[in-house]
Amino acid sequence: MKKNRTYHKKKTVIVFLVFAALLLGLMGRMFYLMAVRSEYYSQKARELHEREREIKAARGRILDCNGEVLADNKPVCTISVIHSQITEPEKVKAMLVKELGLSEETARKRVETVSSIERVKTNVEKAVGDRIRSYGLDGVKIDEDYKRTYPYDELASKVLGFTGGDNQGIVGLEVMYEEVLRGINGKILTTTDARGVELSALGESRIEPVEGYDLQISLDKNIQMYAQQAARKVMEEKEAQGVSILLMNPQNGEIYANVNVPEYDLNDPFTLLTDADTSRMTEEEYQDACNQMWRNPTINDTYEPGSTFKIITMAAGLSQGVVDLDDQFQCPGYKIVEDRRIHCHKRTGHGAENFVQGAMNSCNPVFIEVGLRLGAETYYDYFRKFGLMEKTGIDLPGEAGTIMHKKEDIGQVELATISFGQSFQITPIQLATAVSSIVNGGKRVTPHFGVRVTDSQGNLVEELEYKSREGIVSSQVSEEVRYILEKVVAEGSGKNAAIEGRTIGGKTATSQTLPRSENRYISSFLGFTPAENPQILGMVVIYDPQGVYYGGTIAAPVLKDIYENILPYMGIEG
Amino acid sequence: MAGGKKKERGADSFLIFLVLLLVALGLIFLYSTSAYNGRVKFHDPAYYFKKQLFATSLGLMGMYLVSFMDYHFLVKMAPFFYGISLALSLAVLLFGEEYNGSKRWLSLGPLSFQPSEFSKAAVILLLAWVIIRGKEENRGLLPMAGRMLLLLPVVGLVGTNNLSTAVIILGIGVILIFVSNPRYLPFVGIGGAGILFLALFLGTASYRLERLAIWRDPEAYEKGFQTIQGLYAIGSGGIFGKGLGSSLQKLGFVPEAQNDMIFSIICEETGLTGACLVILIFGFLIWRLMVMATHAPDLCGSLIAAGIMAHMALQVILNIAVVTNTIPNTGITLPFISYGGTSVLFLLGEMGLALSVSRQIKG
Repeated sequence: MKKNRTYHKKKTVIVFLVFAALLLGLMGRMFYLMAVRSEYYSQKARELHEREREIKAARGRILDCNGEVLADNKPVCTISVIHSQITEPEKVKAMLVKELGLSEETARKRVETVSSIERVKTNVEKAVGDRIRSYGLDGVKIDEDYKRTYPYDELASKVLGFTGGDNQGIVGLEVMYEEVLRGINGKILTTTDARGVELSALGESRIEPVEGYDLQISLDKNIQMYAQQAARKVMEEKEAQGVSILLMNPQNGEIYANVNVPEYDLNDPFTLLTDADTSRMTEEEYQDACNQMWRNPTINDTYEPGSTFKIITMAAGLSQGVVDLDDQFQCPGYKIVEDRRIHCHKRTGHGAENFVQGAMNSCNPVFIEVGLRLGAETYYDYFRKFGLMEKTGIDLPGEAGTIMHKKEDIGQVELATISFGQSFQITPIQLATAVSSIVNGGKRVTPHFGVRVTDSQGNLVEELEYKSREGIVSSQVSEEVRYILEKVVAEGSGKNAAIEGRTIGGKTATSQTLPRSENRYISSFLGFTPAENPQILGMVVIYDPQGVYYGGTIAAPVLKDIYENILPYMGIEG
Repeated sequence: MAGGKKKERGADSFLIFLVLLLVALGLIFLYSTSAYNGRVKFHDPAYYFKKQLFATSLGLMGMYLVSFMDYHFLVKMAPFFYGISLALSLAVLLFGEEYNGSKRWLSLGPLSFQPSEFSKAAVILLLAWVIIRGKEENRGLLPMAGRMLLLLPVVGLVGTNNLSTAVIILGIGVILIFVSNPRYLPFVGIGGAGILFLALFLGTASYRLERLAIWRDPEAYEKGFQTIQGLYAIGSGGIFGKGLGSSLQKLGFVPEAQNDMIFSIICEETGLTGACLVILIFGFLIWRLMVMATHAPDLCGSLIAAGIMAHMALQVILNIAVVTNTIPNTGITLPFISYGGTSVLFLLGEMGLALSVSRQIKG
């Protein structure tokens, strides 16, 4: 029998002490993990356990100036099934077939797919969703959602725009005011095990969604409707490719109506208006066609303005003092600039005329003369001063910029053509804005739709403000321009827009689209009333009309018709 | 000091208390941890618990019986036990059941048996037998090496499938030889050689290097999944834990949570406080075995107690070190608490052996 010697005991104690030290060390390690790093690992674990389902926030509405709802939300449901929670698969299948109109096969596939959550159908009417909920079947989830609806279908489609699958703005005001309209989605947080099965014992925590703000715009549904009707009428009569109408307040830039027929159905924005066979298009062609359909030509496209641009030449000439109202001119039917003979639209010539008469006749040689008197440099400076080189800043996406000669490239011939609105391109909204600034006494306004942001109860959140710039022209020049343009409508080329008992200023234009050889025209008319104190400025642009294409003949009457109907409604007199 | 018969003092009641406490805690934690997996895999939340309860009952009976045996007799039987353990280990290699990629089980009808657990107990007895038979003056390196060589067959057989258990067997061997030998210096050499060997071993195979890389940054590797899930569980326990039964990580996130990683769930449910208490209980148990080893009436009893202490301590320390990602991942169970019938059976048997030693301590 061996003795248990002292050194045995001593060494046993040493071994024990080493073990004890190691255990202490591990406790230290645990302190580090569970006290120091606890927050980090807890957070990581929480992220792992929590599944979140979004609760969609209601998107803010878009209201017209009278509070009429132009873009609204319809509550809809998304139906999903959770495979691991289904207890009565046959009943679920039968329910899906009955309530959602699925085929037996699809229903079976949805129910039998082993996934954490299988989406069966979105955009289900709320009533149907409620009915499905009342079945009380395990493993069937009904999530509330919203679908954007536009009560007036195609009304102002190219202004309002529409939203995509996640209710995010795609085009138009919907995308421009995304930040305002979009709410903050809420969340349902549920804790799950590793298979994704929710642990009902732990319940769910909800973060409530915050609904988006309403946007009130200056557009007036009634005016828009009437203008749309008028635009449709002339488009059909003239077999035109399209008609744009803009009605705005030249004093502050608020837009009352912007029609661009053909409009598309906002509730069905992916169906092309043409009869083109979409099934034979490539994805890219189809997308292009859609984009084309959604474009707002008033803002997104440039054109050669033609004679309406003479208003700009007029204002520049009067401001610079190179022309007076009663300056005398002689029109032989053309004007020779350098080696070019530039024709007046009246080949026989207007003969002797003063400046006002020249405007009434829309006489090209008169305005060429004024342009030449200004000189390229000065003309270009006015072009810039009137804001024509910059964008208007309208609150719609994709505004097109001006396409203009470089200053150093403007020779006498170019200057001559610019003077009567050719050889460069601007957008209709740009022209309307520039003319507004001239006739309103010289204040460059920012054209806009958005007026104020409110909550759903109508409480003001923000009054939207826009830049303006004074001193574009002097009030005297402004007054002279208004006087001349009133004469144009009262007795000149714009007389088809005249209304008995009202003072209307305006200018017609007939321009060609490029290339000129195709003989496609754009007829337009720009008018405002009352002439002395313009409250509403209107612009009618008819693209590619068939038959008679003179702006004074076909575009002026459209604005006259609109004015006759909306001015009493708006309470504008004089 | 004379060996041989003396008045029996009775078993160490503090050790009995500690063992029963650990067994009870083990069953509670095991049920809490395995209920989810039992429900998911076997539609019975108590599936693992029932099996463990059966093994524990058997083990407690075994402990009771062994505690009344004379350990001298058991040590004399050591070569026989060692032979059986070698045979069983070989049998596993040939006919073993594979589970999770390693062959560790022998099946006998509904019962399965893990011979490597038996080997650990057999090795303790064998070393005690060899050391007390050797000449006391034999302090040279050669006889020491010879004793270690005796272990090689079992280390080789077990190590083929279960490297961590082989490491523990080696560790028990080194500690017992250390205790039995008055010298210190050779062990510094052995320690150094061991570290060198480990470094070479880890550095020579790329999959082991990968294991090292996972250890250093478990979140960056897919195979660090188990480790990182364990850390999430430990970290989310905080100071006081989520409460018994409230672990979320056991719900399939920590794979096979009732096995090697059970300590992480203890951390999650009972927090730093509970986890440290568990470590403390193990600490007391080891301390008690140390006291037993130093008070044993003869070298034989002392070596048995020291061997059991080494076994217990190595397994607890390595398990917790792995779970807390202090060392690279390797499969070692937590004594009395991790799921595993054979393990709890033989651990209780070893405790019975320790109690048998304690009975012969003079009062």
